[in-house]
Amino acid sequence: MSRVTRVLAAVGVALAALPAARAEALTVRDMLGREVTLPRPPERIVSLVPSVTETIYALGGEARLVGRTDFCDYPPAARLKPSVGGMVNPSLETLVALKPDLVVATDEGNREETFHQLRRLGIPTYLVHGNRVADVLDLVRRVGALLGREDAVAALADTLARRIDAVRRAVAPYPRVRVLYVLWPDPLIVPGRASMLTELIELAGGESITAGDGQAYPRFSLEAAVARAPEVIILADHATAGGSTAGRPAPEKWRQLTSVPAIRSGRLHSIDLSILHRYGPRVPEGLETLARIIHPEAFR
Amino acid sequence: MSPGARLATALTALALLAAAVAALAVFVGSAELSPGAVARALTGRASAESVEAIVTLDLRLPRILVALVAGGALAVAGVAFQGLTRNPLAEPSVLGVSSGAAFGVVIAQVVGLGASVPEALGTTAFAFAGALLAAGSVWLIATAPGGLAVQTLLLAGVIVGIFFSSAITVLISVLDVNRLGGVIHWLLGNVAPIPAGPLALFGALALGGFWLVLAHARQLNLLALGEEAAVQLGVDAERLKRRMFVGAALLTGAVVAFAGPIGFVGLIVPHLLRGALGHDHRLLVPTALVGGGVFLLAADTLARSLIAPAELSVGVITAFFGAPFFIVLLRARYRAVL
Repeated sequence: MSRVTRVLAAVGVALAALPAARAEALTVRDMLGREVTLPRPPERIVSLVPSVTETIYALGGEARLVGRTDFCDYPPAARLKPSVGGMVNPSLETLVALKPDLVVATDEGNREETFHQLRRLGIPTYLVHGNRVADVLDLVRRVGALLGREDAVAALADTLARRIDAVRRAVAPYPRVRVLYVLWPDPLIVPGRASMLTELIELAGGESITAGDGQAYPRFSLEAAVARAPEVIILADHATAGGSTAGRPAPEKWRQLTSVPAIRSGRLHSIDLSILHRYGPRVPEGLETLARIIHPEAFR
Repeated sequence: MSPGARLATALTALALLAAAVAALAVFVGSAELSPGAVARALTGRASAESVEAIVTLDLRLPRILVALVAGGALAVAGVAFQGLTRNPLAEPSVLGVSSGAAFGVVIAQVVGLGASVPEALGTTAFAFAGALLAAGSVWLIATAPGGLAVQTLLLAGVIVGIFFSSAITVLISVLDVNRLGGVIHWLLGNVAPIPAGPLALFGALALGGFWLVLAHARQLNLLALGEEAAVQLGVDAERLKRRMFVGAALLTGAVVAFAGPIGFVGLIVPHLLRGALGHDHRLLVPTALVGGGVFLLAADTLARSLIAPAELSVGVITAFFGAPFFIVLLRARYRAVL
């Protein structure tokens, strides 16, 4: 199918799925506190954020999603939507050709230059931002409101909150385990205090040994990491995101550090980063995976 | 043929080439508009709200103009630096001047300057200051009794460039680490459409720099004979050098402020023109203005087509062609020296 017919098909689906037209203008506040004025509830949304794309699908609002980025690869059906390119370098003309009445973007991964251009073109832009687990539920509510699917919000938010809570309760009786999470092996980049990963590790009954650093994703000294004697080492697997060998977890390198408790007890794991690093509806799945690695005894 | 006639012929040929490349650039793009739709938008028969009008008039046309102006400015800056140093390898990015200007732009952004016309003028002032600082440093490092040695000049440029790039990384890492990815992307050099006001300012600044270099074209010809000879022929060599510095730094600063540090245009285009027209700066400077524009526009059209709908940075394309070019020139120069 050519791109034109795909776009037309998407338009057709979007039109068919429309509820009775609602004409009132609305002003909303985005996650950065900026006011966004929309002439009417958005019907043609382009998402430049993988977490938002996932949330739109989880709320059943995909009929209004007309465009995505190359990184919006989940759910698989999202890949059928037209892409505007990468998060850093989307094609503005492809984006304009999709005739969006709202673009959802993020200040973490998209470029300011893109926001300037969208403002110049008069396309309303809603910015999101996520670095706490609470932001996942906030995002669900916000996207639900934008989509006019408030009815679906409660069910999804409840499920997410319940799954997160179940993990918290399952690991509560066990002592905390020292965890080293390796976001990138060389140079060593780890989650700091400001990262949602640190919070997820704590919810999963762990204690991130790199939580003391105030930044979100600091570079860390391998020496310092080893000195803190992690009992579990988790390597982020970037392979599913891009497929290049640079992002493979390379456990051999870590196995040489035989003095580290995690290596002695064979507790070296890798985890698909797309379920942990996106503040979308798969966060509970990521949290459950993390908790099973940190506290396998809690899930026997 | 008289120089005047040769200039007219060369400019006509380049203008025709520019028109052809611009026509191609306005009709191709990832929005896949039909030629008819683009023509409707260009002739004002499409409604202002339509996709073809927005894509053609707000995205493609301003981007074409930015590429033409930036490419022209960079090529003229290249000619000026080459005349000044009497070295065909001198060029804003090779000399580290682009990095100096980029450092200025990053400081302007940290200070909070945005995209409006007065703010863009302020950003250009920072870029100009950075470019002057970098060019001055290179000059001071490389000047030795007996003139500028080729190798020292190039090494000084590389070192100054690395220094300013590191300064940018440090500044961004300390102040605003979220923007690091965006800044790294910007440092590769990108042509983006800009609104009419800032675009006019960009054009005016580029024309100012061009005029300054053009006005000294005859003196640059005399300087090519050697500084002593030029002085004997009545050239105030110190004043000429200062003005060429200012002109080339202004051109580089403006391009970096409005498009980012794009490399090698000032190397490739003047060299090709010298091959076709000889070493007369009265011919080189005006043809570099048009030729540089054509080259960068062609490169930018490639940059937005090769991996559509994602886009490459145009600086990647110019470097891809420029780096081998640089090596060939360097080898030729060494053979001449040995």
